[in-house]
Amino acid sequence: MADIATEAVEAGTMATPVARPLRLRSFSMLGWPVYAWFVALVLVPNLLLIGTSFLRTSNGLIVFDPSVASYLRLWNSASFQWLLMRTLATSAAAAVLGCLIAYPMAYYAARVVQRGRSVLIVLVIIPLWISLLMRVFAWRMILGQNGILNSFLVNSGILDQPSEAFLYTGFSVLLTYTYISIPFAFIAIFTALEKIPHSLIEASQDSGASAWQTFRHVVWPLSRPGVAIGFALAFLTTVGDYITPSMVGGIDGTMIGMVIASQFGIANNWPYGSAIAVCLMVSAGLVLAFVMWLGQTKGVLMGDEGAKPPSSRAPRTPGERLLRAGAAVAFAVPYLFLYAPLAIMMLMSFNDSSVQAFPLQGMTLRWYVELAQNDAMLEAVQRSLVVGFTVVLVSTVAATGFAFAIHYGRVRQPRFFEFALALPVAIPGVVLGIVMVLATQLAHIPSGVPRTVIGQASFVMPVILMVILARLRRLDGALLEASMDAGANHWQSFVHVLFPSIRGAVIGGALLGFTLSADDVMVTLFLSGTSPTLPIWVWNQMRFGFTPSVNAIFTLVGVGSLLIILLCNRLLFRGPSRGNGSAS
Amino acid sequence: MAKDSQPILNVAGVDKTYEGAVRPALDRISFSVEPGEFFSILGPSGSGKTTLLRLIAGFERPDIGRIIIDGEDVTHVPPFRRDVRTVFQSYALFPHMSVLENVAYPLRMAGARKAERMAKAQEGLELVSMGEFAARLPHQLSGGQRQRVALARAIVCRPRILLLDEPLGALDLRLRQQMQHVLVSLQRELGIAFVYVTHDQGEALSMSDRVAVMSEGRIAQLGTPREIYFDPSSEFVAQFVGCSNLLPIEFVTRGSEVTAMLGGQPLAGLDAPRGDAGSRAGPARMAVRFECVRLGAPGEPANGACSLEGTVEDVLFLGNALEVNVRCGEMSIIAHVPSTGGEGAAPGQRVRVMFEPDNATVFHG
Repeated sequence: MADIATEAVEAGTMATPVARPLRLRSFSMLGWPVYAWFVALVLVPNLLLIGTSFLRTSNGLIVFDPSVASYLRLWNSASFQWLLMRTLATSAAAAVLGCLIAYPMAYYAARVVQRGRSVLIVLVIIPLWISLLMRVFAWRMILGQNGILNSFLVNSGILDQPSEAFLYTGFSVLLTYTYISIPFAFIAIFTALEKIPHSLIEASQDSGASAWQTFRHVVWPLSRPGVAIGFALAFLTTVGDYITPSMVGGIDGTMIGMVIASQFGIANNWPYGSAIAVCLMVSAGLVLAFVMWLGQTKGVLMGDEGAKPPSSRAPRTPGERLLRAGAAVAFAVPYLFLYAPLAIMMLMSFNDSSVQAFPLQGMTLRWYVELAQNDAMLEAVQRSLVVGFTVVLVSTVAATGFAFAIHYGRVRQPRFFEFALALPVAIPGVVLGIVMVLATQLAHIPSGVPRTVIGQASFVMPVILMVILARLRRLDGALLEASMDAGANHWQSFVHVLFPSIRGAVIGGALLGFTLSADDVMVTLFLSGTSPTLPIWVWNQMRFGFTPSVNAIFTLVGVGSLLIILLCNRLLFRGPSRGNGSAS
Repeated sequence: MAKDSQPILNVAGVDKTYEGAVRPALDRISFSVEPGEFFSILGPSGSGKTTLLRLIAGFERPDIGRIIIDGEDVTHVPPFRRDVRTVFQSYALFPHMSVLENVAYPLRMAGARKAERMAKAQEGLELVSMGEFAARLPHQLSGGQRQRVALARAIVCRPRILLLDEPLGALDLRLRQQMQHVLVSLQRELGIAFVYVTHDQGEALSMSDRVAVMSEGRIAQLGTPREIYFDPSSEFVAQFVGCSNLLPIEFVTRGSEVTAMLGGQPLAGLDAPRGDAGSRAGPARMAVRFECVRLGAPGEPANGACSLEGTVEDVLFLGNALEVNVRCGEMSIIAHVPSTGGEGAAPGQRVRVMFEPDNATVFHG
């Protein structure tokens, strides 16, 4: 899992030196689907967003009359500016906190731990792939008035009565955002730290640098770009999030994503919502540009030796032992933070009480039985599967073709298109949602499954593309040449050599895409209309009030995604494995 | 090989400039290879030799010029329809196929039946003494073994031309020497024309029938190993092939005679430039191979050899020889002397440096 994520990060963000692949000028027609996808799912939808923001409404209908009314309204609205600043500040603060917590963990995992490293990494990343809805919901359960934190404080006599200070405040949003940020920051920082050759550390020590000086002058500058990327990933995920604030935020924790969502929902003012979305995109872009500028480091790491922790060490002094124990704690505590909410939720799904509080009332399976009898939910599950399979099928076929077209030079400006196709991944969730609403509305695509498939494919395809491209780039370029040299034409080379070499990446990417599709709320909510997928159905249920069945659903979803992830990790990195050892 | 036979490979006036590059990678390259010949392309890295190989294999197209194989113009024929095989520098063994499947791959692409191709592949493996490793996967082999498998895969279809791209680059010295013998005997046995790219002059000289020395996208010299070694046509060749002292000399006119002067002393027996006396005079450079330089006691009679007095500056022990660096006035001259007879050379010692004028090559202009 770690590898999937790190590969995606690497593929998406860093310029890896690429061996010049074979270029053939014929068959440049293979580039056309890439251009078409870019125009249909990236360029036109985003232009529509910008275009819509310059329209205005009258009596709830959009009037095709170019105006800057929406922007004027925003310009004059102090509350909007305050909200925008607060959204950016909360997301940025959460991303910084996430990086601060993740850095020691990543350092420990990348450079100190010697055995079981991959398990530690997978454990940090698993929460990333478990439904966002589920994680946020777990926090609500902990922080709520009848929640676990309050019941603990009251029962232990610290508080007289449950406090309302934990949930529905700015603090609860910050806490949950930080929780969401940690895995992203971890992957990016870990990737950067792991790449630093051990010889550089030794060279620094050899030059007389203390441990701190080595960190300050060698490790930190080399890992700084990774920190910036981790910040960016975390920031982008939370800045367009309207699920978290509406579940744990309350009035004080309102974020701009909710305002945008409501303009496309209850308030029904698309131009105004589009204008806010454009402002959000631009300001988020400015924040990211600034952070990337701060994070840059000169030079390119050469050689691929990577981290090799010393196998044997001199006996440690007591001070060193203390330090190591401290590091181990700094490494272990965040794991509790990551897993406690999920564990509590699973526990509650078996609790024989409709109140979410300790002490537990006894073991029951009735919430699961209740689920099995719920036809609406089963229908939603079925729909999720249909949507998931369609999205994955479309995205995988497209991504495989695009990856080959880009890697083998059938696309003009391959760097640009690689970046441009990935744009939907980098657009804040709520903005991507409305962008896809606009595009599908224009194309008269009915809401429900067709819209959902298109909307999800727009961000699932780039993820699969990144995974496949990363694999293609690690492939020895001479393999294709050797195959053609041996008399195989393009198609035979693809069937016998190239596809078998990347099969693991394709299948792994497809499964990854499936979990992304099955868990998505932010984009799907705008597109599903009256035919909800499972997460949307759950989301709707929660508005009407809480039932412990939700715990049961999430437990099932969580276990399900976990199984898919483990399977996908196996396929991706142990799968093609006949002979993979020589490559790595 | 018959003298009048048609060349198997003809490279005619080929130019190649990569997109965005200022300097051409190949600049007016022409040569031909006879059937069954062992032809080497020797040059430093960046001289264009790998580009040339990729053009012959079909992975690149020339900007102008033609590639002709056995009388047929293949300039625009894709690589999989050329009767040419390549041994890649990285070996490029398919990691997901066993050794036997790797070797059988070209036969499979040619549409051979399974039984037939397995038998032929096994035969090919026996040829490089890898028969017992047929079931292994590439990552379970050592570097030298991978090399042999790559070779077996390239020759299993008996192509008319085999291209080898620095195939021994990743092997250690002993394996490299061993593989040189394997390659030469294999080439004799199969009668395939080998086009061998290397930056190692030892490999090129020891195995080849002919060698093309490349420099900055051009062929600097084309000839037999002997010609290249003993009669370099340019300073570049003299320095790149083998190790030569490059000494500044001066031709001065004395009446109608032209004499070469080295460090103020006349050198007997050196070729003077042709032409009239006035234009013949002037500076030039002279190349003398390290092993052509002898050392003697100061004042030892020269017997017609060119000689200079100097002081030993440092001595390197190379095993079979000593590399002695002698300072003679402004110049440093390096001599390779047998390590068994060279005990006398020690830093600070006065010696007489001698070499035969026949062994010196003069470059004018």
